[in-house]
Amino acid sequence: MKEIDEFLRENKPVVKDDPTFILEAQRRMEAVEGIKSEVDRQRSHGRKALIVALVAGLAAGVLATAVAFLYPVDVQSVGSGLLESVRVFLQTYRQYLLMPVAIIAISLGLVLSRGGKTAHI
Amino acid sequence: MTRERFIEQVRVEQEPLRRFLLALCSGDASLADDIAQDALVRAYVASGSFMGLSKFSTWLFRIAYNCYIDHCRRARAEEVPVEAASSVPATDTCDASFRYQQLYQALGRLPEKEKAAISLFYFEDRSIKEISAVLGMPQGTVKYQLSMGRQHLKQYIQL
Repeated sequence: MKEIDEFLRENKPVVKDDPTFILEAQRRMEAVEGIKSEVDRQRSHGRKALIVALVAGLAAGVLATAVAFLYPVDVQSVGSGLLESVRVFLQTYRQYLLMPVAIIAISLGLVLSRGGKTAHI
Repeated sequence: MTRERFIEQVRVEQEPLRRFLLALCSGDASLADDIAQDALVRAYVASGSFMGLSKFSTWLFRIAYNCYIDHCRRARAEEVPVEAASSVPATDTCDASFRYQQLYQALGRLPEKEKAAISLFYFEDRSIKEISAVLGMPQGTVKYQLSMGRQHLKQYIQL
């Protein structure tokens, strides 16, 4: 195996110096500039939509948690309206409400921190 | 990333990238440069998604490797064996020396993953960790591919 190791290390493929290579790459990059702008625009749009969704989810989660803890409902005495059903649901599962809130908060943190790194490439 | 910044980085990486693809293409310099150009365009379009979580060269090599795999799939679909590159007659785009012919022909007989692992490890001096990131496989699998590649090359190359 040692001979193979030596043979490979001593016989690295040699690329011929080609000054046109970078020029051709530049030409091709100019040609796809429009596509890149569109990809960047869509990525930025998707990122903004994701952040808005996460912020909305976080706010709704915090609100639901606050309602469940600050305004407890008597499950036995409420009526059958939609809002009351939601309150009963929140009351029943209030010990689990913080979990989705935490997940959304962590996701938001990750998205924002990765966005910061992109700017430093 | 601006185009100027991207090109600046590519200037640094172009020689290793072309050498990596030259080894993968079994010495067919023209094909290697075509795939390199394709990889650079893809990388440029996707440069907005580069998070800086890995080195730029690792990211670029991974794109280049994917381009090479795409090329192999297309070649298979068109029933043109990839190994044909090693039997291309010596021209100004092929290194005609016997040593390189022997090396390229042996590389041409290796499976793609073994060839890529051998090329990155011996020709580009990449660590197992970096090879693992470029090829998208666990480090243990990279070591296995290297070991198998060495065994195969020992059979193919007359030392």
